[in-house]
Amino acid sequence: MNWLRQHFFALADAFSHLLRSPSNFILNVLVVSIALALPFAGLTILQNVRPISEQLAVEPEISIFLKMELSRDKALALTTNIRTILQDSASTTRIEFTPREKAFDSLKSKTGLTDVLATLGANPLPDSYVLKMSGFEHAMDADQVDDIAQKLKSMPGVDTVQIDSAWVKRLAALLRILRLVLLFLGFTLGAVVVAVVFNTIRLQVMTQHQEIEVSRLLGATNAFIHRPFYYTGALLGLCAGALALSLVVLAQQPLNTAIADFARLYASEFRLAPPSLLATAFLLGVSALLGLFGAMLSVKRHLARLA
Amino acid sequence: MIEFAQVSKQYSRDVFALRDITLSVPKGELLFLAGPSGAGKSTLLKMIAAIERPSGGSLSVNGQNINTIKPSGLPYLRRNLGLIFQQQRLLQDRSILANVMLPLVVTGAARSDAEKRARAALDKVDLLDKSSAEPQELSGGEQQRVAIARAIVNRPQIILADEPTANLDRDNANKVLAALKSFHGVGVTCLISTHDEQYLTGADRIVYLDRGRIVDGWHNGISNPVEISR
Repeated sequence: MNWLRQHFFALADAFSHLLRSPSNFILNVLVVSIALALPFAGLTILQNVRPISEQLAVEPEISIFLKMELSRDKALALTTNIRTILQDSASTTRIEFTPREKAFDSLKSKTGLTDVLATLGANPLPDSYVLKMSGFEHAMDADQVDDIAQKLKSMPGVDTVQIDSAWVKRLAALLRILRLVLLFLGFTLGAVVVAVVFNTIRLQVMTQHQEIEVSRLLGATNAFIHRPFYYTGALLGLCAGALALSLVVLAQQPLNTAIADFARLYASEFRLAPPSLLATAFLLGVSALLGLFGAMLSVKRHLARLA
Repeated sequence: MIEFAQVSKQYSRDVFALRDITLSVPKGELLFLAGPSGAGKSTLLKMIAAIERPSGGSLSVNGQNINTIKPSGLPYLRRNLGLIFQQQRLLQDRSILANVMLPLVVTGAARSDAEKRARAALDKVDLLDKSSAEPQELSGGEQQRVAIARAIVNRPQIILADEPTANLDRDNANKVLAALKSFHGVGVTCLISTHDEQYLTGADRIVYLDRGRIVDGWHNGISNPVEISR
């Protein structure tokens, strides 16, 4: 009960000091929120794009075009070789053999190029295999698909191997870079937040040094003296985090209009969704923790000097 | 209760604030520390509150050795002390009531209880009607009485008053001393320092300090520095 009362007092004390100079607090919140808004925005975009990249990479396809001169028997016999190559990968793959006649018929019926194809006389298409792969968890596994394609290409009788997931691989690489940039940005701007809170608390300690000294002489423990500063730091972080999230959500509205126009060109309904409740709670928690960390560093350094 | 045994305080090679102080203060005594400015009175009081540590000798307060007390033990030592300073050190941005409540708040007392006890303490120094005022609205004498209320609010065993009558006119100084003596009357040990001999009345004992040494004393009419200081 006493412990709870002390925390309540510390929180009330932190609030009372903030209310005594609200403009300072608001300015500090503004600075910290701008620092937080950038990684928050990046994280929101990443969270939105990641499911798409995962979905796209779930079933990459590999097309194997065989040499024109390869006989049908030899072409069919390649199935065994393909299975051998695939058995090392973690994916389950459906192997479909497409005879050149079937491919030609399909081309004629689907493209409406019957007349054009008739002028060719002979069927220009080779026998082919289509490998539909599943079991890949995300775009990062595109490297593995590349390896398989290389092995398939080295089989005798294979003319060309085409992977339809090459662009997924690029997207995955891009996302990987984005994630690294975000991580770097997060650490850098996190340090900025800690520095701002550190300085805010330093100024508060200096302003309240008389109160701190008197409290010490009257029997206040270090914990009693430190606690209001910790709450101030955490409150500063929390308020800045909330403001940064609000800025991100606000910025999403005009951004989504532009994204919708762009996505419509690709027959997509893609929109940036605001951070989920869990993500919001996480980001607010991180903001408060950064504030608390800055306050703890500052209190440790500056109150030790006063002592 | 308070035992000084050959205590010295040295700030640098040649600067001694106290030299070989041997003094025993039993429970419930009213002791005046007299002497000119720079005699070491404030240093002696600061040592009892562990604001300063002895350079030599040993000092114990309520059985706690001040030489070896850890920083984490200081708050608990000070909660049994009522400190009154020459400059009252009231918090200017808080009401008189909030100032007096502070020693209770730091110990985690319930707000309602702290407020009740603070009002009772202010009543004892005749300042209950000023409880909602701010320190700068009060005269020097009134501020010193607020400091006394703050010192006694958590019922300390020892009151240490460092020049509480300095900067006060005679009337206010007498009021402050009367308030302090009234707490001595209920069994609180009081150590009061002053450089003004006109206020040295009603003491159980007077110890004179000069240049960091006990030079004279008075105890029930006997003037003997050795007897007085032990």
